[in-house]
This record gives sequence, structure tokens and C-alpha cells, in this order.
Amino acid sequence: MTTVKFKHGMVAPLVALFVGVVGFPLGYAFYLSITDYKLTSHGTPKLVGADNYVATVHDSAFWEAFGTTATFVFLAVGLELVIGLAIALALQNQRWARDLTRSMLLAPMFITPIAVGLIFRFLLNDQIGAIPHLLQAVGVDYDFFGPGKALFTLALIDVWQWTPFMVLLLLAGLESIPREPLEAARVDGARGWYVLRRVTLPLLAPVLVVAILLRCLDAMKVFEYVFATTRGGPGTETQTLQYFVYQTGIQFFRLGSASSMAFIVLLLVLTVIVVAFRRMDKAKQS
Amino acid sequence: MNRPPSEGNSAAMKLTQTTPSPTPRRGRPFLAAPVLALLAVLTLLISACAGSGGPEPTQATGTGEVPKDVAGTVRILMENVPDTDIVKSMVPEFNKDYPNVKVDIETLTYDQMRDKLVSSFQSSSPTYDLIIVDNPWMVDFANAKFLQPLDARIDGTPAYDAKDFFPSLTDITTVDGVRYGVPFYNYALGYLYNTDYLAQAKLEVPKTLDELVSTSKALKSGARAGIAMQPQRGYKIFEEWGNWLFAAGGSIYDQNGKVSLNTPQAKQALNAYIDTYKTAAPPNSLNWAFDEAFRSVSGDQAASMISYNWNLPALNDPGSGPSAGKFKLAAIPGGKAVLGSWSWAIPANSGASDAGWAFASWLTSKVHDVQRTEKGGAAIRQSTLKDPAVLGGKYGADYYTTVEQILGNASPLSQGPSGEEMIQAVGTELNEAVAGTKSVDDALAAAQAAAEKIQG
Repeated sequence: MTTVKFKHGMVAPLVALFVGVVGFPLGYAFYLSITDYKLTSHGTPKLVGADNYVATVHDSAFWEAFGTTATFVFLAVGLELVIGLAIALALQNQRWARDLTRSMLLAPMFITPIAVGLIFRFLLNDQIGAIPHLLQAVGVDYDFFGPGKALFTLALIDVWQWTPFMVLLLLAGLESIPREPLEAARVDGARGWYVLRRVTLPLLAPVLVVAILLRCLDAMKVFEYVFATTRGGPGTETQTLQYFVYQTGIQFFRLGSASSMAFIVLLLVLTVIVVAFRRMDKAKQS
Repeated sequence: MNRPPSEGNSAAMKLTQTTPSPTPRRGRPFLAAPVLALLAVLTLLISACAGSGGPEPTQATGTGEVPKDVAGTVRILMENVPDTDIVKSMVPEFNKDYPNVKVDIETLTYDQMRDKLVSSFQSSSPTYDLIIVDNPWMVDFANAKFLQPLDARIDGTPAYDAKDFFPSLTDITTVDGVRYGVPFYNYALGYLYNTDYLAQAKLEVPKTLDELVSTSKALKSGARAGIAMQPQRGYKIFEEWGNWLFAAGGSIYDQNGKVSLNTPQAKQALNAYIDTYKTAAPPNSLNWAFDEAFRSVSGDQAASMISYNWNLPALNDPGSGPSAGKFKLAAIPGGKAVLGSWSWAIPANSGASDAGWAFASWLTSKVHDVQRTEKGGAAIRQSTLKDPAVLGGKYGADYYTTVEQILGNASPLSQGPSGEEMIQAVGTELNEAVAGTKSVDDALAAAQAAAEKIQG
């Protein structure tokens, strides 16, 4: 009995911290999600059961925002992965000024995303922005925030800011790969692309999964770029989940509905994470 | 120390196995008790603080005649705009009349301010004693009983003359016949144009919707746009297009107060707006809002814009751009403008409502409104715009005459509850039409349906 008490006693601080930091906000949000709570309502809100969840599931705008966010995440993280891997491989072979290059490369990560959004809002402005001027000089007229293009532009902004993060993780992963398999492959006559595909990437897989997962989770939270540049337009083309939930909860005061949306997103994301980790475990075992 | 987890678990298992009594079955009640207790505490805590909705409204509105020796600190939440700086500059003057009142002004950007304001209403202890309210929030805040009714204070303030405020502004502060605020400043829209370019084109100031379209096209020259527009999704496009709608003879609400956005006039206005955007506005400006449009006009890259009337002094400010001093303000073609307005209000949970009213009524009194307007503040009183000191001031009589004309015929975008949501929904549909992702007919039908659904 004493041992059991001791065991649980040791876990108690963690449980207390978890309840305070994660449990309470989550519990509070869940409670709100089953009420008709509005920021402009008085008194104790009415419990409405699953009404908010049913409304959210049947809300086409919510699923449209979900699709927009998924497209954004796919575009941004996909590009970040490819570019980040290329840069990480190049940096791994760099011989001189390694520290300087790496610290310069990380600079975009240190800027707050809302500032990045505002910088690009004006950098891509057709009348005062440098990028449209450069493009016009070579005869290209491109509407960065036009229909069919705005979401891609937002993904590129994300790529500019967060590729360094991918580089950082992948570079650490590359440098921790044991030399022996690579050297053995080279001794056997394997070169370049073949070594990358058959030796480097499989050894890097655990790092790749973590890097992709971290970036996907972070990219899902995209809000600042949308807020600073398009406000969800043209139409609803760049209305991401976070912006949609923000509008519903804060701008339109319907915190009950917004909480149910946030919970559905949480469940979906958790499912994806659990599936990803299980697959990783299976791959390890096999 | 660096034992792998499996080893740690096995050690724990060993320890557990050595104690005979606790079996897994008996372990559960041990765990269940604290977990249940924890859940119970959590539930109590959540239900205790969630959605309490703040304090019940204060019934007493207090008197309008606040003694000069009233004491207290007035905490005010304001937007980070030039009009706030003007108010700040007048605090020392106020303290000559009310020496025991400390005015503590906190400034934030618009979105931050709204978020903080709404959360402050939920608090049982007062956070702010005096606030400013944007017109789309007024009905929601009043219905939620976040604001103190001010009828008794307004009527009881000596020589206040509330009827002198522009009626278009006091209409916004009145909800179901009760006044919840007094005007702080207006942001009615006007037509701002570069006089040189208009003269070069040998054109007059546009007076109708057709003239607005043709003049905008005629003012386009080379890389310079005829008009800098603000078709950004949401508030901006609706605020701008609303003027085009009025110019076409349409309205946002009909005589019965029902939304009237799907009308022939609305179609005419939206077609004209899109035509002008495609032919006279800066290229690729679909996400443009105020900042971009202002920079474009002040930077001589566009000849005109529809914007807040008080932007004229900023455009003509020496150093603001190559055409500073050449801009003029005119009423919106057709004569009717979209109106925005900020109002002073006292939160229901204000901790110093007497001192708060002392400041608000002092600042909006006739004599101090003249001073505020002379400093560049936006007009709220009719008498102020006839005052010789204002008319003879640095901004010129022409400007104030036009402002008076604009405020004489102006309407807000929303008149009912959930104004912000309705404006965003309509603004999304309008933006779809300009982007070409929806037809004009479809966009207006969707805007009408959304506005009806939101406002009933």
C-alpha cells in the first residue's frame, strides 16, 4: 500500500500540472461547447447538449475552412520538406562559414508571424511592393492575392518563414546518422540519388516524421498571415480554421459554437497523430 | 539514473509485487477516488466561472450634474488612432475643472481593443470606467446590458444641449428609445480627390453613380489609377460599396427595417463597382484595405478614393506625399454616405461612473468640442461646424461645410443586432462578386439571405 501511495505521490505533481495547464482550459472549452454561451450573454448559459456539435458538423463553411487549411498545410509543409531537405543536405557538406550561414538561415523564424504577414502584405503590393516591380521588369504580371492564387501566396509566406525550422531538424537528423552505412554503400558503388533514397532517407525517417508532424501541427494554426493580408478572401478562399473559429467566437461573440468547432478539430488532429505514431511503431517493429 | 523506461517499469512492478494487498482490482478504487474528486472540483470550478456573464446591470444611471470635486480614477480603453491622441492632449485642461479625477487612458489596436472590451464586461470587478463603442457593437452591447443607460445623465447635464449632436450620430447611440452613449467622433465617408488631376481631365466633382464611374476611368493615366479602392473581404468592401449602393438609389434596409440588398439598385451598384475596379483601380488590389488605398493616393499613384472625411487633413499634411495640399473632400455622389461612429459609453460594471460621465460630458460639451475639432478631431456637433474659430482654423471652412453636408445624410451599415457578423457576411459575398468567383446576382442573393438569417 505504501509503495502504491509513493508511486501515485510521485505522479501527483505531473497530474496537478496537467490538470491546471491542460485539463482546466480543455474542460472549460468543452463545457462552453455544450452551452449556448455568447460573449454578450448574461447569467449562466443554457446547456444545449450536442446541438453545437451537430450544427458544426452540418456547417458547410466549417468544412470549407477545414479543406482550405488542409490544402494550406499540404502545400506549405510539402514545399518546406523538399526545400528544407535540399538545404540541409547542402549545409551538411558545407566546409567554411558554417555557423554564419546557419544563423542567417534561421533569421526568419525569429520574426513574429503577424509582422511577417504585414511585411509580405506590402512587399507583394502591386504599387509599392518590390516583388511585383521585379516581376513587372521581366514582363510578368501576377496577382498574388487574386482568386486561385491567394492561398498559394500564403503557403509561400509560411515556406519563407518556417523552412529554416525544417532545415534545423533535418540537419540535426542528418548529422546524427551513423557514417558506416553511408560509407558501406559508397564502397559498394552506390552514388548520389541512390544513396539518398536507399540509405539516407530511411535512416532519417524518424526525424522526418517528427519534423513533418511538428510543422503540420504548427501550419494548422495559421492565422496571422490571413489576418494581416486577405482576411479570408477572395471570398472565402483563404478562410482557414483558426480564422473561422476566431470570427465565430470573438468577432461574432458565439463562443459556444466556436468551442465545439475547436473540439472537433482537436479530435481530428489527435486521431491523425495517433494513427501516425502507431504506423511509426509498426514500421519500427517490422 | 538513465535507466530505460522498461527497466523503470519492471522495478516498479517488482516493488508492487512485494506488497501483498493491492491487486489491480483494488488499485482502481484508489485511483477512482482522486480522479472523481478532481473531476468534481473541475466541474464546480468550471460551472462557477464559466459564462457568469458578468454583473447584473446597474439600474441607477446617476445624475448628469457631477460636482467639480468628484474624485476617482477613470480608466478608459480607446483605439490607437489620432482622435485618441487629441483626447489625451485635453486631459490637463479637464483636470483644471475636475482636479480630483485621474484619467488613465489605455490604447490598443481595433481588434485587440474589442477583444479586451468584451472580456472586461464579463468581469464582476470593474476593469474600465468609460469606454468607446463602435457602431456595429452598440445594439449587441446594449441588449446584453453591458452599458449603463445614459438618458438621465444626458438630460441632467447643465447646458449640454444633446440635440445639437448630429441626429445621424445619436441614432446610433439610441437602442429601443434608450440612449446608451454620446458621440465621440464620426467616420462618415466622403469622396477625396486630387484637384489638379480633376482639373487636368476637365471634369467636375462626380454627382451621380454614373459620373463616379466615368470620372474614375477618366482620371486613370498611365500607371496612375483613377481611384484607389478597398475591396478587401468583410468590412472594407461593404463600407465602400455601401456608398455606391446609396448613389444608385438603393438602401441597406427598407422602410420597414428589413434588409434590402437584393434589389435592382444593388445590382446596378455592384456592376458599377466591379466595372470601376477592373478599369480604374490599381491592378491586383483585391485585398486592399485603407492603408494601401491611402498610400496609393498620398503617393500620387491614384487620383481619388472614397474614405473617411477626416483623411483630408492627413492627405494635405505637408510631407504626406508629392500632392499634399492639392486634395479636396466632396460628398459622396448621390449625396448619401455610409456612416461610422464611435460613442462614449459607461460600462454597467464601471467603478467610477460619475467621474467617467464628468469626463465624457466635459469633452463632448459645446465649448470643448470646438477645441477638440480645432485640434483636428472629427465633428459630432452641428454648432461646432458653424463656430467661427473652427471655420477660420487651419483646415478651412470648405472642409467643414462638406463634413456638415455629409453628416446631414449618412447611414450606418448595420442597424440591428449581430451587426459585425452581418457586415462580414455581406462583405464576403461582395468580395466574391468582385473576385469573379460568384455572379453579381448570386452574390447579392447570398448576401441578402445571410443578412436575413443573421439579423432576422
